[in-house]
Amino acid sequence: MPLLYPLVLAAALFGIGVYGVLARRNAVMMLLGVELMLNAVNLNLVAFDAWFADALHSGQVLTLFTITIAAAEIGLGLAIVLALFRALRTVDVDEVGR
Amino acid sequence: MSRVAGRHWAYVALTAALAIAAAIWAIPHLYETAWFAYYDGEPGGTRPPFPSLSPDLFLLPASAQLVLLAVGVGLLVQIYSTAYLGHHPRYRSYALVIVLFLVAMIAVVGTTNLWVLLVGWEVMGLCSYLLIGHEWQTAEARAGAAKAFLMTRVADLGLVLAILVIGETYGTYDLIGVEIAAGQSPQHATAIGLLVLVAVIGKSAQFPLHTWLPDAMPGPTPITALIHAATMVAAGVYLAARLFFLYAESTVVVTAMAVVAGITMLLGAVLALVQTDLKRALAWSTVSQLALMLGAIAAADPDAGLSHLISHGVFKALLFLGCGCLMHAVGSSALSAMGGLRASMPVTFWSTTVGFTALAGLVPTAGFFTKDSVLHSIEQATDHDGGLASGTAYALLAAALVTVFLTAAYATRLWLKAFFGPAPDGHAGHEAPSAMTGPLVVLAVATFALSIGQPFHLGTGLLTTALAAAGVGTIVLLWRRGASVDLEIGPLTAELGLDRPLSRWLPAVVRGVSRTVVDLDQEAVDAYPRAGAGLAERASHVLGLAQSRNVQRYATLVAAGVLVLVVVGVVLT
Repeated sequence: MPLLYPLVLAAALFGIGVYGVLARRNAVMMLLGVELMLNAVNLNLVAFDAWFADALHSGQVLTLFTITIAAAEIGLGLAIVLALFRALRTVDVDEVGR
Repeated sequence: MSRVAGRHWAYVALTAALAIAAAIWAIPHLYETAWFAYYDGEPGGTRPPFPSLSPDLFLLPASAQLVLLAVGVGLLVQIYSTAYLGHHPRYRSYALVIVLFLVAMIAVVGTTNLWVLLVGWEVMGLCSYLLIGHEWQTAEARAGAAKAFLMTRVADLGLVLAILVIGETYGTYDLIGVEIAAGQSPQHATAIGLLVLVAVIGKSAQFPLHTWLPDAMPGPTPITALIHAATMVAAGVYLAARLFFLYAESTVVVTAMAVVAGITMLLGAVLALVQTDLKRALAWSTVSQLALMLGAIAAADPDAGLSHLISHGVFKALLFLGCGCLMHAVGSSALSAMGGLRASMPVTFWSTTVGFTALAGLVPTAGFFTKDSVLHSIEQATDHDGGLASGTAYALLAAALVTVFLTAAYATRLWLKAFFGPAPDGHAGHEAPSAMTGPLVVLAVATFALSIGQPFHLGTGLLTTALAAAGVGTIVLLWRRGASVDLEIGPLTAELGLDRPLSRWLPAVVRGVSRTVVDLDQEAVDAYPRAGAGLAERASHVLGLAQSRNVQRYATLVAAGVLVLVVVGVVLT
């Protein structure tokens, strides 16, 4: 499999993630955008690991770290969103900013 | 109570000490040669060259008389005030300003240095402001004081400029030096004379700057006596007489002075005739009498003007102090509140009668002799060809004769209305305390005593007596018939609206001009800083668009920026 396919897929995912973070007003959707960007990076790491045929598989190891940290991050982020919703009855970031 | 009175007598003692010192200084000068003996020393003699600021105390016989008049009337006023104003909470400042007033007057008449004269002149203006406004809780007193101050101050510019011109012309600010220099060649007579005339018109309340004097009436009555008789207004006439030698040759100046004097003497006399307020009537009478003195000076006889100034000072002080006694008895200076006070106030009645006799110019009071001198000097001016033109002198003489008639008429009218007839609502009146009647008696005696040794001119003497008798007779006849002696002519009771140009129109013009200046400043000058501020504000709006407080927009911009950099980087490499 040529390297181009996963890279294009990763770029598309990253672009969708950026769009989600910049354009969506819903805090949950923004968090999802962040997840998409992280996973686009993960895809890149795995793809390059396979392409380089790295004996140590450092790309895959790094991906495992990233997934762990992403899990922690999304847990923290959702907790904040939950707290926001409890306090303000909204998760619209424009409303919250005001 | 007695302690308060005791403290008040301390001011009397202070004034008495000043009076005694002034008398010791002035009396030896009284009988020195002529009234205006010009310095006959060697040119460039012992006097210091200009500019000299030492007081240069020097008394001519005329100045010596004025010094004695000022301190004498001042002392009597001070004694009178202990009873008249004794309970006033601000008595101390009142009494001390009187002393300052006297010192300033002595400085004016007792110096040969023009700058010292100016200082005394201005201090007198200040003192009159303070004293007219002594009852500053009333709006009337504040307005009167401010008016007196402003009007005399404007005219004082004339004196300042006159002094500067004299100094430039003759190279000295010392009057004796000026006399030496001017004795040989008087120069710039017209300029100096006109400037002096402006100062005199303001200080001595002559037309058209006369309106401050009647409006100074809210001041305490003893002060009115002081200002009207011995100090403030006297200084103006004194200056006109003292500097006469500088402008005697200028036809323009003496003609202007004669015209001003002629208008003012008639105006003052007519308005004194129609007043319903005794004090105000006496104020207009002062205006008219001062004009008579200036008329004599214009007719090249300053001696006659000054002798009338002295006698007028005595009898007008007497009349004002008498007016104060009447106000003390009935609580008002309105003529309608008076009447029938002859029996209950005998001392006031008799001494005031002497005052009115002198004002009317009847024998044998000093007023007759000095008014006679004034008339005689004007009459003399009609047939000599220097200075005043013959026609002007005749016009002035006619004005003066009419004034003599009117003066006698209004003096009689005031006298009758105050002391005769029925008392309004049975007001009995009561005699004033002896501290007030004492000065009246002294002044009444002085009114007779001053006639001793006065010159007498048969022709004018008979004429003025006849006119005065006619004036007295007219009023007495009207009064006997029970006719009204009040002239109720609208324009006259409104004082011809002469105050309007100065009190309404001038402020309106000043206000208009200042409004234009303010508009110019706000519209034209302020436009530039306002435009700059507007520009900055609009720029800040444009720049403020970036500061949206929206984190997502910031992030979008960052992302776009990164994208641009990447694209640029890729394209360039």
